Amino acid sequence: MNTSETAQNVHEQIVTLLPRLRRFARNLTRDPHDADDVVQIAVERALTRLDQWRSDARLDSWMFKIVRNAWIDELRSRRRRDKVFLAAEAGENIGVDSMASETELLSVQSAMARLPEDQREAVSLVLVEGLPYREAAEVLDVPMGTLTSRLARGRAALQALLGTEGEAT
Amino acid sequence: MTISDETLMAYADGELDAAARAAVESAMRQDPQIEKRVAAHRSLRRKVQAAYSAELSEGVPERLLRAARAGSSTQASNVVNLEDARAAMARAASRAPPMRPQWRTAGTIAASLIVGVGLGFIMWGQTTAPLTRSAGGALVAHGQLARALSNQLGAEQSRSSAVQIGVSFRAKSGDYCRTFALSGAVSPSGLACRHGDEWQVQALTQEPGTAGDSGYRTAGSAMSAPILKSVEAQIAGEALDQAGEKAARQRGWRAAHAP
Repeated sequence: MNTSETAQNVHEQIVTLLPRLRRFARNLTRDPHDADDVVQIAVERALTRLDQWRSDARLDSWMFKIVRNAWIDELRSRRRRDKVFLAAEAGENIGVDSMASETELLSVQSAMARLPEDQREAVSLVLVEGLPYREAAEVLDVPMGTLTSRLARGRAALQALLGTEGEAT
Repeated sequence: MTISDETLMAYADGELDAAARAAVESAMRQDPQIEKRVAAHRSLRRKVQAAYSAELSEGVPERLLRAARAGSSTQASNVVNLEDARAAMARAASRAPPMRPQWRTAGTIAASLIVGVGLGFIMWGQTTAPLTRSAGGALVAHGQLARALSNQLGAEQSRSSAVQIGVSFRAKSGDYCRTFALSGAVSPSGLACRHGDEWQVQALTQEPGTAGDSGYRTAGSAMSAPILKSVEAQIAGEALDQAGEKAARQRGWRAAHAP
């Protein structure tokens, strides 16, 4: 399906997506260096698999999914490494939260970092990246109902952390 | 009238169809509490969007731009050519500063390291060298390394063995593969897969900057990321546990053909 022009085009479309891919990856990994590594791996993977991209699918959703899978792979490999080579490498940054003091009002970013992973992914895709629920569910490979309940729980947790009950700023 | 919070959220996110929307709107008119909850959802949405909007105007690192553009001018066919893509990745990798070599694109790097490190090993001394070339030109384990790959079980090895076995697993090809690390002043780590009667070395690296440090290193610190990456690329399922290793050893590590 991809002619050389559209293939060409895809490269530039991916370039355009890079800021969002990085942003999403940062929300996933909570580490800017990991995020860039994940994005690079995802981009390289995507380019070798362009034939798997259905042109009726949104490129951003497809790329988000590849980013997420790259991160899952990385975590798996870290777990494997930790399991097999328990030496030396304690304290990977597969992270536990956070340094912000309880009394301070948390920034949105640090509140996000405290969400459980599944909620953080849902919030990040829908509220930050602006994906429709259906696309977000697709990226995460979960049914719509699961997506909405994660999103609802994530939002409630954010509200609580940010201390913005009710009123708009 | 009760409306679930999820419905209000979906309303605020513009996800409801016309009928459901109308129902929420009429509920909002009747109940200021509901209106307030919708406002809270909207406010949170705006707040989150605003908090993350600055990130979009950050500069993107050069290495990511290169990755995205790799190969973009070469494709004339309608199928993406894997070899070209890999070559492009390799070029990109060799130009890119090794930001965090720990887990950068591994296959190509490992392959080139095999040549550099591997040849050194072959030269080392014919009888004690851990690696040799087979008749077919493949790099194969030799001597002590070959014996360890065939016999040593990960769970039973002593920390002081010259060869440390890491993960054992079945590759997608059906072959059994094992990672290893050699101790000593020059202490590479690698991945070998059983092929026929030989352990063919698929990847071999030496972690930069650590070779001279104090003679002895554990398998953990010696395992380099490119090797792990090769493992990731080849492994079918999970790594073998102790029983799995034992069973595989019993059958002489002969390929079990993958489904």
